[in-house]
Amino acid sequence: MIEFILRSAIDRRWLVVTIVLGFCALGIWSYQNLPIDAVPDITNVQVQVNTEAPGYSPIEAEQRITFPVETGLAGLPNLSYTRSLSRYGLSQVTVVFEDGTDIYFARNLINERLGVLKSQLPNGLEPEMGPISTGLGEIFMYTVSALPGATKEDGTPYNSTDLREIQDWIIRPQLILVDGVTEINSTGGFEKQYHVNPDPARLLRWAISMEQVVTALRNNNDNRGAGYIEPNGQQLLVRSPGQLRTFEDIENVVVANRAGVAIRIKDVAEVGIGRQLRTGAATRNGTETVLGTAFMLMGENSRAVAQGVAQKLEEISLTLPPGIVAEAVYDRTTLVDKAIATVLENLLGGALLVMVVLFLLLGNVRAALITAVVIPISMLGTITGMVTFGVSANLMSLGALDFGLIVDGAVIIVENAVRRLSEAQRQQQTRIPVDQRLTIVFDATNEVIRPSLFGIGIITFVYLPIFALTGIEGKMFHPMAITVVLALSTALLLSMTLVPAALAIFMTGKMAERENLLLRVLKRGYRPILLLSLKLRWLVTFAAFVLVGFCIWLATTLGSEFIPQLDEGDIALHALRIPGTGLDQSVRMQLVLEQEIISLPEVDKVFSKIGTPEVATDPMPPGVADTFVMLKPRDQWPDPGKTKAEFVEELQATVMEVPGNNYEFTQPIEMRFNELISGVRADLGVKIFGDDIEQLQRIAEQIKGVIEPLDGATDVAVEQVSGLPILTVSPRREIMARYGINVSDLQSLVATAIGGEKAGIIYEGDRRFDLVVRLPEKLRADIQRLDYLPVPTSFYSDGPGYVPLGEVAFVESTIGPNQINRENGKRRVVITVNIRDRDLGSFVADARERISSQIALPPGYWIEYGGTFQQLESAQQRLSIVVPITLVIIFGLLLMAFGSFKDALIIYTGVPPALTGGILALWYRDMPLSISAGIGFIALSGVAVLNGLIMLSFIRNLMEERGDLNGAIVDGAMTRLRPVLMTALVASLGFVPMALNTGTGAEVQRPLATVVIGGIISSTLLTLVVLPAFYRIAHWREGEKRGLNEA
Amino acid sequence: MNSFVDILRKPAARARFNTYGLLLLTTLAFPLYSAEEHGDAEEEEFARGIHGGRLLEDGNFSVELAIFEQGIPPEYRAWAIQGDMQLEPGQWQLDVELTRLGGQVDEFRFAPNGGYLLGDAVVEEPHSFDVNVVASYQGQSYRWQFESHEGRVHLKDAMAQTMGIGVHFAEAGIIHQTRLLYGKISPDPQQVSHITARYPGLIQAVRPTLGDTVSQGDLVITVEANDSLQTYEIHAPISGVVVDSHANPGEFAGNQHLLTIANYDNVWADLNVFPGEAQVIRAGQSVELHMGELSATSTIRYLNPGQGLTPNVIARVPLENPDLVWTPGLLVEARVTVDQFEVPLRIDNRALQSFRDWQVVFIKIGEEYEIRPLELGRTDGTFSEVLSGLNPGDRYVVENSYLLKADLEKSGASHDH
Repeated sequence: MIEFILRSAIDRRWLVVTIVLGFCALGIWSYQNLPIDAVPDITNVQVQVNTEAPGYSPIEAEQRITFPVETGLAGLPNLSYTRSLSRYGLSQVTVVFEDGTDIYFARNLINERLGVLKSQLPNGLEPEMGPISTGLGEIFMYTVSALPGATKEDGTPYNSTDLREIQDWIIRPQLILVDGVTEINSTGGFEKQYHVNPDPARLLRWAISMEQVVTALRNNNDNRGAGYIEPNGQQLLVRSPGQLRTFEDIENVVVANRAGVAIRIKDVAEVGIGRQLRTGAATRNGTETVLGTAFMLMGENSRAVAQGVAQKLEEISLTLPPGIVAEAVYDRTTLVDKAIATVLENLLGGALLVMVVLFLLLGNVRAALITAVVIPISMLGTITGMVTFGVSANLMSLGALDFGLIVDGAVIIVENAVRRLSEAQRQQQTRIPVDQRLTIVFDATNEVIRPSLFGIGIITFVYLPIFALTGIEGKMFHPMAITVVLALSTALLLSMTLVPAALAIFMTGKMAERENLLLRVLKRGYRPILLLSLKLRWLVTFAAFVLVGFCIWLATTLGSEFIPQLDEGDIALHALRIPGTGLDQSVRMQLVLEQEIISLPEVDKVFSKIGTPEVATDPMPPGVADTFVMLKPRDQWPDPGKTKAEFVEELQATVMEVPGNNYEFTQPIEMRFNELISGVRADLGVKIFGDDIEQLQRIAEQIKGVIEPLDGATDVAVEQVSGLPILTVSPRREIMARYGINVSDLQSLVATAIGGEKAGIIYEGDRRFDLVVRLPEKLRADIQRLDYLPVPTSFYSDGPGYVPLGEVAFVESTIGPNQINRENGKRRVVITVNIRDRDLGSFVADARERISSQIALPPGYWIEYGGTFQQLESAQQRLSIVVPITLVIIFGLLLMAFGSFKDALIIYTGVPPALTGGILALWYRDMPLSISAGIGFIALSGVAVLNGLIMLSFIRNLMEERGDLNGAIVDGAMTRLRPVLMTALVASLGFVPMALNTGTGAEVQRPLATVVIGGIISSTLLTLVVLPAFYRIAHWREGEKRGLNEA
Repeated sequence: MNSFVDILRKPAARARFNTYGLLLLTTLAFPLYSAEEHGDAEEEEFARGIHGGRLLEDGNFSVELAIFEQGIPPEYRAWAIQGDMQLEPGQWQLDVELTRLGGQVDEFRFAPNGGYLLGDAVVEEPHSFDVNVVASYQGQSYRWQFESHEGRVHLKDAMAQTMGIGVHFAEAGIIHQTRLLYGKISPDPQQVSHITARYPGLIQAVRPTLGDTVSQGDLVITVEANDSLQTYEIHAPISGVVVDSHANPGEFAGNQHLLTIANYDNVWADLNVFPGEAQVIRAGQSVELHMGELSATSTIRYLNPGQGLTPNVIARVPLENPDLVWTPGLLVEARVTVDQFEVPLRIDNRALQSFRDWQVVFIKIGEEYEIRPLELGRTDGTFSEVLSGLNPGDRYVVENSYLLKADLEKSGASHDH
């Protein structure tokens, strides 16, 4: 099979070249469609169903909206789980699907169910799905602000309502049309509303109820079309305009007639522009502002979309009213550009180094070029594959690519061919005829193709366990594994086809293959070492074991981290305030906080989103603010040498001075991921499900008491769900009966008075603004006044026509649930625990046992255990199946290659010493172990196996030819010195730029590169020195037998 | 507070890596083991004794000092241990001095009680003080000093100013309890006169027309009686304005009202008092009346229970109306002072915050702020009477006191001694 491929590749060499060219064209075309981003997307497949319910308290939102929506969505295909939160004015159900579910399919299913659900929801509430976006979706943010001194046409300065109007009606409609944008979310300012504020006393005077005011406005604000008539052959449209346009129009609406006098709105109320009851605000550099966020459609190219938005925003800026500025404050392009620049730098640098090494060691420009050309072509092949598999180009996916590793197979083949050709030339002293050249190339290739195929195959296989990772880890590292496997398989294909074909075509001229000086020196030095190692083979083996033991110990002292964090360059911090903090209070506190932050000389901009934006993509309570701190370029810092960690510490010290806030530091993308993934992020989460919130809270406190004293338990915390101050107006039914008032009358009065009631829409061109009836602000805000709010009643014909609210209802302050969380259709409270200095498994078992023995649950309540430990358990299960299988496969491959159990085992046992260099390198550079480093070790073990293969297969061949063990080992090792050195050098040099780079994103790749470089040095030493010794020991019997025979 | 880097290296992630790392590396038949990094273990604030109190140690001698407050007012209890031997309460002596914010010092003497030494006074809330402990045993004396703060916030003055924190002196003042009532202006019934003809007859002349002002005794109508055909005059019984007229010359005057003269110089405000307020509204209480820009003061003359047809009673307030601005039928808002008294100490209600199950205010001393749980008396919605917990002259936070509460609770204040 392989021979057939090789032969046809050499025979039809031009065809091969043509096909490869076509392949390249495909790669270039694919590149245009390759999504580019900074980091892989780790969001799960989820759809948020948001229902805005103005005025609903958490309990009502849950009862009336969340519950029906959740139940309605239960049982969807591919559904993983649902979770929900119900908060003041908002119900959010997050439906999470199995990974790999098509998002449009999922949304379609939900849409269908929502259609049915609508009839079960309270009137006027519309559940809506969140934007089709992921954690990487927030690619662009901008603020709309007025320059100092800028005034509106009427000479007054712009206020935040005006800015919001500009955002909503000028900027947003244009930006949302940009390709790849799925939503423009607005935060901050006030939506403009027309307000009618009735005065209770004046209403009483004319015996008019709020209801009547609302009705009057509703009935006097419409345009009506009345068809057409055709008087003299000409068609005349008939319309009757009646829409309210101006304040005067509204003021003159007649509400009632008293003794022949028309009572107008202006007789009982004030009309003006008012402020909505908003749920979110935005600030920038210590002033209130309006903030827009562009969401990228799932699967789009974030760089392209962000650029599109930026460009459009610039165009829009020109058309804004004078003095109004729309300015980008966050642009993903910057980060992506930096990250991609880092990757490109690494890849180009690596490729260049590889070529130099090839040239130096092969001493033949053509051969070096043939090998080097594998790099771009396999890269293009990888890109094609990435587009096919939907993998985006980012730090992670491109981070593990090592061109040295990729060309390894080609290097071996080219090296052998060059050697054979030059040998042939030397023998014949003339140019080799074409057919002989072809034969030599075929033979040379065929000789080494198996080991190199096996080697690359094994490296590929070693990546397999990565595919067993699930969840976030899986999403993080699958792209990396996919790209590496793609690149390696492309290279594999190329070394079977293009490389021999190109060798056949281009290796024509005189073979300038000389053992160059470097190699001669190396060979001269290598021989005695090799001999010595063979002589002291037991000592060498012992030393290898000691080294491995030492490095295992060293590894335990390294410390560990999960993934090195990508430094996004900017800082995001949550400013958290106690539950119940009002939005205005929160804004005031945020303004001071921002003023403090902006006073740091390193800070360029600081801006914040407080509370919930218009589209509830991130429903935060009003007390929480996402604060983005954008830093100046480092060269503008007063001390450019300051590290980010140092700066963060300074920032922390600064913000701790501002009272009333608690902080969590993170980064913009990271923050968004956390918001979306949001499950239990602690090691162990004990979830209690049940009906009664207070009961749940009580049980949670009990469980906390049980867990806290356990060995290893840290950060035990009960999810805070209560603490929202509520002013309840509870009807006193028996007294209301005395006045003939219904509960609903009372409730709608309170709702209209405090919350306001929408009484229609006022149009200004295509802008539309709500017309709202609500008590004047100064009465609304006065709690004591509420007792005296007149409730109209006409029960007693001689009576005063009203009764004060305090008479028919209790008005009292209470504390209610702040937020109700549900999971899979049931209320739940979570206790989270992190575990230190103890293994997870035993802790969880211990905790389970104690809880079940010490906590008595009422009927209808149950406990579930979740958290990281679950993922760990499932990962362990998967890995415990996949890892042995992989090991067996690799061993099987080795066995296939050698047909000898012993030799396969030699290579296998040779791997651990090969890894010692990686550990030493980490230790030398003071880096912790991480998954990235782990992947380095994986690549490394592949290289070690490859080197071992090259070496052993040759020794074995010699052995079979000559039967002299020592001679075979020495000659084989000497011949293989060059390919082993070459593969090792190219593989490690390919990673050098990556290990040294300090640009954005380099921190993710650095550990990997460090491990590989360090490891390859040790692995090469091992292959060259220790492996022959091992082989000698393993085959001593044969050696002695032969030796006896010879003797 | 963790450093940034520590936050990134979450313990969870670390633990996770260990397993993954292990398994991944097992691929290579290479059992790499990575040890847990010892994170900063949570600092135990202080050592605790077996009774849950604070353990004070000095060589072999240690004292356990606890505040016991289950079901009784908080009191100090103390135990002593020499080596590993529990000392009898009589064998050793103890003195405790608490220095509170602002310099107040509480001293405690201890006497044996059961198996422990008992402090001689209640430990007043808040339990926030610098503690000075002196114990003596077998002629040797031991000293400890420690801080035990709760409900205390440190805030630089500049920051306090930026955050708009406003401080006032606690002082005596007036509590002014009021109720809001709505009512209507009605004319004084004694000042409305409906004029009828004494004898039926033909109206000869009518002097004033609608809206004219007449004085008492003015001739208003001349009627020719039917029976006698004598003309007789009707004079205005009161001074006032003609508000209604059904009389024109030539018309027949029967027993209908011919003219209505009303005098609005004095009107009444009829305020609706609903049952909920009936207990506190009394005759004689002073009333502020408002209608738009208009306002006037008066007192409640009497309460009119009405005829039992409506649940409310009417409080009647006479009102002088020289400028005739209070027209009958006008709706008025009335603020009735139901009670008013001087209290020796009152606080602005804006200063009140709830903290645990207390109502507290924050006092300011230097740049320190600390809670003062208050026992409150009567309130008028704006000010509240302080019965205990605060001293006159204390500086307490009024504006933006919420901020201090927010700051206290964010750091998870705990009630520990």
